[in-house]
Amino acid sequence: MSFPPSRSAPAPVRLRTALVAAVTVVAVATIGCDTQRRDARNADSPSSIGSAKSEVPVAADSNASAIVVRDDFGGTVALAPIPQRVVSLNPTTTELIFALGGEARVVGRSRWDEWPSAAKQVPALGDALRPSIERVLAARPDLVVLYATPNNRPAYDRLRAAGIRAVGLRIDHIAQFERAARLLGRMLGRAAAGEQVADSVAATLDRVRSATRNLPRPSVVWPVSASPPIVIGGGSYMSELIDIAGARNVYGTMPAPSPVVSIEDVVARNPDIVIRGGDDNPSSAWSTTWSVVPAVRAGHVVRVSTELVSRPSVHLGEAAVALARALHPEAVIP
Amino acid sequence: MMRHRAWHWGAAAVGLVVVALVAVALGAVRVPLHDLFAIMRGAAPVSTREIVLTLRAPRVVLAALVGAALGASGATMQATLRNPLAEPYLLGVSGGAAVGAVGAMVLRFPAAAWPIGAFIGSGVAVALALGVARGAGTLRAADPRTLLMAGVVVGALANAIVMIALANVPPETVRGALWWMMGSVGDATWTSVAWLAGYALITIVYLLVQAPTIDALTLGDDAAAGLGVQVESATTRAFLTAALLAAATVAAAGLVGFVGLIVPYLARGAGLSRQRDVLVGSLFIGAALVIVADLAARVAMPPSELPLGAVTAVLGVPFFLVQLRRLR
Repeated sequence: MSFPPSRSAPAPVRLRTALVAAVTVVAVATIGCDTQRRDARNADSPSSIGSAKSEVPVAADSNASAIVVRDDFGGTVALAPIPQRVVSLNPTTTELIFALGGEARVVGRSRWDEWPSAAKQVPALGDALRPSIERVLAARPDLVVLYATPNNRPAYDRLRAAGIRAVGLRIDHIAQFERAARLLGRMLGRAAAGEQVADSVAATLDRVRSATRNLPRPSVVWPVSASPPIVIGGGSYMSELIDIAGARNVYGTMPAPSPVVSIEDVVARNPDIVIRGGDDNPSSAWSTTWSVVPAVRAGHVVRVSTELVSRPSVHLGEAAVALARALHPEAVIP
Repeated sequence: MMRHRAWHWGAAAVGLVVVALVAVALGAVRVPLHDLFAIMRGAAPVSTREIVLTLRAPRVVLAALVGAALGASGATMQATLRNPLAEPYLLGVSGGAAVGAVGAMVLRFPAAAWPIGAFIGSGVAVALALGVARGAGTLRAADPRTLLMAGVVVGALANAIVMIALANVPPETVRGALWWMMGSVGDATWTSVAWLAGYALITIVYLLVQAPTIDALTLGDDAAAGLGVQVESATTRAFLTAALLAAATVAAAGLVGFVGLIVPYLARGAGLSRQRDVLVGSLFIGAALVIVADLAARVAMPPSELPLGAVTAVLGVPFFLVQLRRLR
């Protein structure tokens, strides 16, 4: 088949203009899509940008007598004066500040910060990534706590330019949580509470670690989405929890916190147990494609509470206990 | 002549089966060919059987159906609009379908309702694109560039609506929806295969029946009218059928672009010229192309998979540029 030329003869200049316009529209749309996608990935498990290794210090200078510390954006943060109006835009830090006894000073949170339940009384100011600067400023904060990711860098810079103390904390790993607890404790004038929260989480984790030390270590996969299959990788605190609870994450060597994998690859790695929890989305793929995973076929699926495991915060110890009990029902986990 | 052609179609069918078998054999878990035959005899280990029968076979069949449907849709659109760049993806049909399906997802309709959303969305997109194009007179009189621009504009609008819809939902939904929009046959089940197969069968048979009319249309409006064809209504019917066929693939596998562009081009390049031949050729070529693209998506970057739509776009963009150059 051949195509007769169109009726109005093509004018090369017009065509070029049209093409440029078309390409621009497509390019802009693509970039928008890409940004959204990265946002989504970050928000899903806020740790996929950068190396996400635990050696990244939360506060490089955790010297108890320091009056200025360096945060995870590389900026310096003064510890004094004690802030009276705190905006926390990260479920982890909001929960932590409440646990430190600083709840009366929290004047804003992100809409995803819903723990503890009392936090819901605090006005939600919007997203945790790329937050609305205007709404944050309108809350007249003297301290803004942000999750440290490149997506939040512009907000961090603008808040600082507006003369507001902003601190960027990257909390992807258990060690980072413990440092954040100590740092925020000191900033809020509740250093003892900070030490206590960090120490008690560490003590619980140590207890679970020693209780599972001599138990057999099953291999596990921890999917957080059925379709596409998204699993917990080595970059996530949840992989550390698996380790502490006495099992081996078959994706523990992948640096990403929550990589998308193929279901066939899950089958090929043949984990002994599938952990469910951390996923709220019902998906028909659990009963179709996932049913091919031998552990699912054999009924070797354990469940932990999404509430408990969905953020690296004050319940990390309880999360490890719950996971260890689920993985080792025969053992006594204190 | 007839025998010669039958021989060609036979070879195409055998070739497609070989491509499909290779695609079933390759993947994260290698399944040797003799194991495939063992499965057919019922003698393979359960794990291999499950991988092949539950994961790979439906996936490969769905890929074939998506490719065949998009090929047929593109072949019909190109012929009826006499526009070598007409393609469901570029004309905004797929984008409209995505709006409908994402809308259904965001409103938390069950997965079974997503295809309905896709159909409605594609219908609206088609109406919009046709409306824009008709600004230049009748649909068929529209300059190919006008149609293309109408498609781009509708596609951009669809993209914007999807972004707005996703702005206020939990991150997990966003990630899932975006992954779905990038196209994948990874969720294939025999149920989804059966749905698309049933739908594609009806529409493709209709398009085959309409093929002689479409041949008449390619002669030009006056000649077609002289042959007793009601030009505008025949064009609209064929175009709408092709659009709904594309919408069915979007519901089953998300956005898989450029297949409808490349495939008819390859069919014509293989020397096929009558619409019925181009259509059947497009079915075979489209099926093989998407099977191969999905295979590449599966094995290129283990343990992850690439989005199918990204692979087909990489294949399709050079074709688009070549075709655009020819238009000048």
